[in-house]
Amino acid sequence: MPSSDSEDFESADEGQSYEKKDRKKRLSSSNYSDNALESDQNVAKSAAQSSNVGKPADKQQDADGWDDFDIDDNDTNIATASDRNDNKSKSSVSTKPAVKESNTGWDDFDDWGQDDGYSNAPREPAKPKLAELDAELNAIKDKMAPTPAPAPAPTGGGWGWSMHSLLNTATAGITTLTSQVSQGITTVLETGIGAPEPEELARKASQIKESKPSSSSNTPSVEQVPESASAQSKDGDGAYLPFGNLISGVTKFVETTGPKVISGGLDTLETIGKKTMEILQDGDPGLVKKRAMLGLSSEDKPVLSQVLREAREKAEQEEDKTEGVVEEKRVVEVVNYENLFNDFDGPVYLEALKLLSSQTSMRIEEQKRTLDAANRQAMEETLEMVVEIYELPEKEEDEDDEPSPEGPKPDAFHERLQAATQDLSIKLQFQPVVKQYKEVLDWLSNTEDVTVDVIYKQAVSSLAQATSLSMHLYHKTSELILASKIRSTVDESTALSQLTVVLRKHISDLAAQFAEKLNSISADNKQQVNEYITNIFLEAGNSSTYLETAFQLALPIIQIGAI
Amino acid sequence: MTFFNKFNKNLKSSITSVGKSCLLLQFTDKRFQPVHDLTIGVEFGARMITIDGKQIKLQIWDTAGQEAFRSITRSYYRGAAGALLVYDITRRDTFNHLTTWLEDARQHSNSNMVIMLIGNKSDLESRREVKKEEGEAFAREHGLVFMETSAKTAANVEEAFINTAKEIYEKIQEGVFDIHNEANGIKIGPQHYTNANAGAAKGAGAGGAAPGGCC
Repeated sequence: MPSSDSEDFESADEGQSYEKKDRKKRLSSSNYSDNALESDQNVAKSAAQSSNVGKPADKQQDADGWDDFDIDDNDTNIATASDRNDNKSKSSVSTKPAVKESNTGWDDFDDWGQDDGYSNAPREPAKPKLAELDAELNAIKDKMAPTPAPAPAPTGGGWGWSMHSLLNTATAGITTLTSQVSQGITTVLETGIGAPEPEELARKASQIKESKPSSSSNTPSVEQVPESASAQSKDGDGAYLPFGNLISGVTKFVETTGPKVISGGLDTLETIGKKTMEILQDGDPGLVKKRAMLGLSSEDKPVLSQVLREAREKAEQEEDKTEGVVEEKRVVEVVNYENLFNDFDGPVYLEALKLLSSQTSMRIEEQKRTLDAANRQAMEETLEMVVEIYELPEKEEDEDDEPSPEGPKPDAFHERLQAATQDLSIKLQFQPVVKQYKEVLDWLSNTEDVTVDVIYKQAVSSLAQATSLSMHLYHKTSELILASKIRSTVDESTALSQLTVVLRKHISDLAAQFAEKLNSISADNKQQVNEYITNIFLEAGNSSTYLETAFQLALPIIQIGAI
Repeated sequence: MTFFNKFNKNLKSSITSVGKSCLLLQFTDKRFQPVHDLTIGVEFGARMITIDGKQIKLQIWDTAGQEAFRSITRSYYRGAAGALLVYDITRRDTFNHLTTWLEDARQHSNSNMVIMLIGNKSDLESRREVKKEEGEAFAREHGLVFMETSAKTAANVEEAFINTAKEIYEKIQEGVFDIHNEANGIKIGPQHYTNANAGAAKGAGAGGAAPGGCC
């Protein structure tokens, strides 16, 4: 199995992409100009190199392309990144790090369509002269200086990467560029989205070749489409028109990457034209379907700027729409008890407790099967006895012995929890529940001038969190009891029952305090307030049900200690 | 057991520590903490990842390696979609115990559970007792995927968890796991994302498994 740097970097990114998206979004608008400045120096240094190294260097530069990608994703300081890159290109031929995991299983997850593009890419060695390159680079720099703010790019996408790669690897010569651009394009094309006529690409390319034969033929240049996207209006810059056109067809791509257009050497254009034709005609001879899709009938040729503008508008509209929906949904979800409970991992703790409970029940059943009839009878009686002992007091009872609040409430709560479980030979951690209680009380006493909606959301969220932490407590207690060498059925039963009483009381305290807070607000809409209070008590009832479920799930854990 | 038990007051825990909790912490929080409390029963960690454009919440159950918790941790294999079976490359005894852990895992789990073998502490090359080839051979023999990792340097940690998740994901695509049966450790999330729960596996003296999630 081949292993290379690119594989490793790819895999590293894969795992992080979710978290990094936002950062990428931010970076995408600001990096280019910095990068251009940096790369100016890189070019000077390594252009000379590229003429010496020739093909091997190209290969290496490809690997560097992945480096850039990685760096970008990792939010590293761009200047440092470029420096590193620079160093790397000097030494890389001999010092490729050998990180090899033979069986990574990553190869199948190549999101970038990299392999195909890579292998098909033409390899025409080119050796740009240093001076020429320098001049070109300055030109690029000038172009890029007033970087317009691009539309937000929700995902970095292949283009972002290509751009960086181009900037940083332009130094190695056109060959690398050609293959990388082709890769980028291949990726685009292979997403199955249509593109304008390749003949046109080719025609334009050849025009350009005629008009600027010497200086630009081998030179990569990178350009971003300005806000107005009127690339056409720039005289003499037709070189990136075909690309613009291509992208305008690829609406989805515009949406996700923002209006960035790459223009490259003429050789690249030709290659792309051919490649485009091949791919477009695949399964669509004569491009009938694709022409129809793009509306490229001969009588109304689209104007690039218009197409781009339309694409952008469409993208923005859709984005707004989705955001609106998501926003709306979020509000609903925030006050959904079950979702909040889920966010606090309540179901996970409950599931762990269930697994423990059912496994323990199975062990009891197994033991039962090994016994003869008489002993089995005795065992069943024991089990039944535990069921009788293991009981929760009626709810009213806990209200009777309501302790007068003395001192800080969280401390009193902590003491009650400890008192409830004092007969257990295990050490339980109550800090999480106590801490949460303290936070809730702080919130209640420090929050002024909030709407009833905010209080209601906070109430439901606090109940869900307290319930989730309680589930964790039941689960941990059960594990510790099971692992404990000293078992006492009565003590354990009492402790768990008392623990449940304390927690149940805690939940109703929380609900009562939020209700009080709601009542303390002089709201115009009294009916809404009452509705919220009712809901809070309903959710508190929901919490109590979870507590009782957890309590019952612990029964086999007590039973197995009795037999 | 150098850095693992250097500051560790509880010698016992250092003996069993092959680094499961450290691996999990490195994966979820991207940090390394050489001194850990002994894991009791099972602890939980979670992280969102993206596979194939889909957001997946990996719920990871970090099981105790101690023998005392063995019967408890066994409970958690069920409901796991995947498991990481971990040994310490600097301690042959942990490698020797793998068979027992593997049998335990296979016996108490869904037969489709994806199991990845992890040789941890690859940063301690000078103290290596188990050759990489041995790990590979064991994995081949038992049909596991193998990787050496370092929770300290983070080497291969992402890959270990994410590759396991990908294998689970592929099995879901192939229809091997019934995603509507939560006993398989997989749950369709409420907000467009799939929660793959890999379950728990673990090895005690020998390998522990940080189990993978569910959700």
